[in-house]
Amino acid sequence: MLDVGRHPNISLMAYSEIEKVEGHEGNFTVTVRRKKRYVDEAKCTGCGACAEKCPTSVPDAFNTGLGTRKAIYSYFAQGIPSTHTIDPDFCRQLNGKKCGICQKTCQADAIDFDQEDKIVELDVAGIIIAAGYDVFDPSQIPEYRYSELPNVLTALEFERLLSASGPTDGHLDLPSDRAVEAEIKALEKKIGKSKRMLEKFEKKFDESSKQFYEKYNKGDYSDDKDRKKWADKYAEYLAIMEPLEDLKKKAESFTTAKRLAFIQCVGSRDFRFYPFCSGYCCMHSIKEAIIAHEHENETTSRIFGMDIRAIGKGFEEYKIRGGNNSNITYVRGRVGEISQGPNNNPVVTYEDTHERLVKSQEFDMVILATACVPTIGIIELAKILGVELDKYNFIKTSPFSPVDTNVPGIFACGCAGAPMDVPESVAQASSAAERAAEIAIQLRQVQNVQF
Amino acid sequence: MNKDILVIGGGIAGMQSSLDLADMGVKVHLVEKLPSIGGKMAQLDKTFPTNDCAI
Repeated sequence: MLDVGRHPNISLMAYSEIEKVEGHEGNFTVTVRRKKRYVDEAKCTGCGACAEKCPTSVPDAFNTGLGTRKAIYSYFAQGIPSTHTIDPDFCRQLNGKKCGICQKTCQADAIDFDQEDKIVELDVAGIIIAAGYDVFDPSQIPEYRYSELPNVLTALEFERLLSASGPTDGHLDLPSDRAVEAEIKALEKKIGKSKRMLEKFEKKFDESSKQFYEKYNKGDYSDDKDRKKWADKYAEYLAIMEPLEDLKKKAESFTTAKRLAFIQCVGSRDFRFYPFCSGYCCMHSIKEAIIAHEHENETTSRIFGMDIRAIGKGFEEYKIRGGNNSNITYVRGRVGEISQGPNNNPVVTYEDTHERLVKSQEFDMVILATACVPTIGIIELAKILGVELDKYNFIKTSPFSPVDTNVPGIFACGCAGAPMDVPESVAQASSAAERAAEIAIQLRQVQNVQF
Repeated sequence: MNKDILVIGGGIAGMQSSLDLADMGVKVHLVEKLPSIGGKMAQLDKTFPTNDCAI
């Protein structure tokens, strides 16, 4: 990533979208919209002082919504470019409220609330589409109850929990527990406010709220308006304190997830959604189970799948190593249902096709190996570029020219064309680069001859 | 006529294409929709089968 940012031959345009493409192989004119960040890219040093002071917290897309970021943010800590961006949907200043704290904080004077989109025109010889993919939305499968059960996650969400730079610093805290902790924090904030209010009354009347409340309840001071207010406030305080203490007691027993279930082919190899195999998910689940075991040695994982497809270089060995060293068991069978068990624990009901039995098992966390599906923006992009899509909306390519699209001079690589893992994406990317270079270098030779 | 190449998408595939072209001496314009490049791979903690860091 860093190399891309630094390379003198690469001009990087992040936070930008393709608007229009005209021309043909060797001579395309491309219109790019550079979206306004409200931050001057040339001035921003990426120090993050603005994000520290920003009062607005919003769910963090990079952490798949599991963490929070500020309304002014860098997409992720090591992101290139490190230029910060203001989210216009949440920024107080841009939504008509009084704020501008980031502008006052920024020493580089980079914040510009009046910034506009910039339109850039490029002349290029060839185009490579590397638009990537989207994660399948598992809430489309009602029997897996992804949107109802907090401890059922997608593989990418689990990846963020595992990451040392993620929202839990790499600990497998259960999302249900994290929700309770967030509730405790919110209640504590309320209690703090309420306490400060009560202190004012206590000072004024020189009496503890508890003593006063007992007397008040006996019928003393019934005509005193001020004291009635005090009593109301104290009742409010008690009403918050009770659930807070219950939650705190509950939080004492919280542990990290130790019994994991991985469910394969969620959305893929499923005729209701996508019949193809997404290719990387078997290995992805094994990897996550191995890493989870590295974090905590007591972790056990069961991987439920029709079969485990470990077909790359070193993959089968990796799978066996996971089974031998990382407490992974592989279960052949499809999961029929995930239901709510005790303590928010999901219960997996599956058919063990070896034993030909339907069984149920309780886990701490269930991870869904979601399908690799075409990215939403690809339909519009394909229209702009004039390239054909296949029936799923991946870019249409043929087996003998896997990076060529139907338009000469436009190539596709990575998951924009079909689901694939990182090594295959890299191989295709190099292949697409070479196909594009053929055009660029041929042109250079022709021009050199002319000169 | 210009000899530059446009790469759409700054994930692992887009970055690899850009770097290969740039190393060949071809000028590349890399366009990414999100505020930073890296794509899905940047969200991964480690990559199989070597458990190398993804970033």
